[in-house]
Amino acid sequence: MFSLDSVSKSFGDVQVLKPTSVEFPVGKSTVLIGPSGCGKSTMLRLLVGLIQPDSGTVRFDSEVMTPDKLMTMRRRMGYVIQDGGLFPHLTAFENISLMAMHLGWGMDERTKRVEQLAELTRLPSAALKRYPAQMSGGQRQRVGIMRALMLDPPVLLFDEPMGALDPLVRFDLQEDLLKIIRTLGKTSIMVTHDMGEAGFFGDQVMMLSEGQIVQQGTLESLIHQPANEYVTRFIHAQRIPHVG
Amino acid sequence: MIRLHTSEKDYRPFRFAKCMITTIVLGLFAGSNVFGEANRESTPELKVGSKAFTESVVLGEMLCHLGREAGANVEHLAELGGTQILWNALVSGEIDAYVDYTGTIREEILAEAARKGIQVQSEEQMRQELARRGILMSAAVGFNNTYAMGMREVLAERLSIRKISDLKNHPDLEYGLSDEFRERRDGWNALAAHYGITTQNIRTMDHNLAYRGIVHDAIQVTDIYTTDAEISFYRLRVLEDDLDYFPTYHAVVLMRSDLEKRAPNAAKAFLKMEGLIDPSEMSGMTGRVRLQNQMEAFVAGDFLNNKLQMNRPLPSTSPAAQWKRVADRLFKTTMEHLFLVAVSLGLAILVAVPLGISAARSERVANVVLGVVSVIQTLPSMALLVFMIPLFGLGALPAIAALFFYSLLPIVRNTYAGLRQIPAATRESAEVLGLDQNSRLRLVELPLALPSILSGIKTAAVINVGTATIGALIGAGGYGSPILTGIRLSSISLILQGAIPAALLAILAQWGFGMLEKKLVSPGLRPPR
Repeated sequence: MFSLDSVSKSFGDVQVLKPTSVEFPVGKSTVLIGPSGCGKSTMLRLLVGLIQPDSGTVRFDSEVMTPDKLMTMRRRMGYVIQDGGLFPHLTAFENISLMAMHLGWGMDERTKRVEQLAELTRLPSAALKRYPAQMSGGQRQRVGIMRALMLDPPVLLFDEPMGALDPLVRFDLQEDLLKIIRTLGKTSIMVTHDMGEAGFFGDQVMMLSEGQIVQQGTLESLIHQPANEYVTRFIHAQRIPHVG
Repeated sequence: MIRLHTSEKDYRPFRFAKCMITTIVLGLFAGSNVFGEANRESTPELKVGSKAFTESVVLGEMLCHLGREAGANVEHLAELGGTQILWNALVSGEIDAYVDYTGTIREEILAEAARKGIQVQSEEQMRQELARRGILMSAAVGFNNTYAMGMREVLAERLSIRKISDLKNHPDLEYGLSDEFRERRDGWNALAAHYGITTQNIRTMDHNLAYRGIVHDAIQVTDIYTTDAEISFYRLRVLEDDLDYFPTYHAVVLMRSDLEKRAPNAAKAFLKMEGLIDPSEMSGMTGRVRLQNQMEAFVAGDFLNNKLQMNRPLPSTSPAAQWKRVADRLFKTTMEHLFLVAVSLGLAILVAVPLGISAARSERVANVVLGVVSVIQTLPSMALLVFMIPLFGLGALPAIAALFFYSLLPIVRNTYAGLRQIPAATRESAEVLGLDQNSRLRLVELPLALPSILSGIKTAAVINVGTATIGALIGAGGYGSPILTGIRLSSISLILQGAIPAALLAILAQWGFGMLEKKLVSPGLRPPR
């Protein structure tokens, strides 16, 4: 679905992503993991076109991503960030349906789709009339997911989507989100620094360090055949009750 | 069931823009009524000017009286802010006539010519020089109103000060000088040099306030006009100009030469002023205005009717007529003030919001735009007003231009700040949704910046309401006119007739924008209760 071909990116004189080539397969979920500053968020931002690579090409659906195609390509991607990234001046309903409205969907069509998504994400109907400041963190995150799903894009990208949630809410939402991704058969790419979350979501896990991919595979393969000392240290630095 | 408004048509920023445009259009309508020319018939339409002191206003009223008697419609742009403003207005045709003084003409108006070596000493030489500029100068009206230095008789006697030279021996005296006297070439600096007076105890103040100061002993010496009625009223001693410093200031009528073609009868009538008024008559008239609270138009008309055996009706002095005048003035000044504020603020919004948006988009643009509007803000309002006169003439237009410039900074800065404070994550969320730049601005960024933008507009409106009062100095009317007249006549009642409505209007603007904010800003942006 996405591919990077010798893509690199620097901010100032720090190269946050060294020249990297990688494929993100259709219908699979990939998790990017690593410590802060390893380049995982940079990679995600390159995929969604928020930043442009210094060298190399990014492809989406086998098409080279260029600034003029970006606008339409983005309508085929859903992007979810920490705390939902909602617009505080719009209600949940308006947040979710903003882009659809802009594209000229009728009110009935929008309402129908939003109700469908509310059911899917288990968001209470009453919450749709609320403004972000009036919702709980979990509700905001569900609304963020609904907004990403509104146009039914084939790809979903998540940047630390559970970062702001307390553990119980997080647990519920992880369950729901996995169900959604599986049921809808979406390609998904998620950035996290949580090993448990990585194992829970990822068909494959990509571990980054200092701007490059150090190992790529299932969580089991990372645990049982670590590519190097760093991977072992990173995995064991996290307290996971049931590894494997 | 979900029932939520989401029609793009009535999106908040649009309603806001519509509402602003309506305000401007209404303002223009209101203005066109106030400032619209009376129906143009064959009667000539003339405008007469006067400076902001009583003698000048009385003389202006005389020109009006004479012009009307000669069958013209005459408007009096009273109390304009100084020689330069009046002279420029006369040359550019904003006004047709006013009364000035030979000393002023020589030292101020023809100073440039004198520097080039043209002789402008005699009245005849001045007349020729003015004629080359299309201006006709009458013979002297009959009195010499020169500057002089004055102090209280009692104090002068005690310190035995009789002549200006005596001031040298009393370095601790406090001086209160009018702005114009302090600044002009033949004013204080040259006088002090001529007499060798060195003092630092100088305060610059309005001429009319200087009398109050001298009565309350806040100052001891001031510049006066020799025809001021206050001289005898406050028992002031006019110090003898023993070293012959002050030039003569014979009052003369200045009018545009083209008047003889355009309104020959009125031009002839204006010249009836020649030799008409002797010094005691002049100070008698200013006394009636300043000390007996009679209207200038009444005093001027009464004098002319007696002297020239005319019987033009005078303004009524019955209480009912006085009240009606107060009410009429309040209505007129309110309309004028609203017009100034609405148009200048409306235009400022239309310009400043886009400027703020482009500044928010580029740091380079921000540096330039914010720099320039900040510099404009530092210009003294009076200076900005005077700059506008060559471009826009007299009246509402230059005042609107100046107010427009003053309103820019708060709106530009708040638009810029409001857009800049939107968190990066929010801006990127809009981008990643697939909205183009303009839609992001319209649907997300402007609504989020709206509270800040509105508070900038509110600040601009309040500043604007206050600053608009100085528009009166260049004939723009508004609440500044009664304030200006009130200062001139030491009339608290008149000052309040301008100051109170101006304060109320500022409060109203504050309140109105508060309501507008409640209506326009999304409930999601209000702090949770």
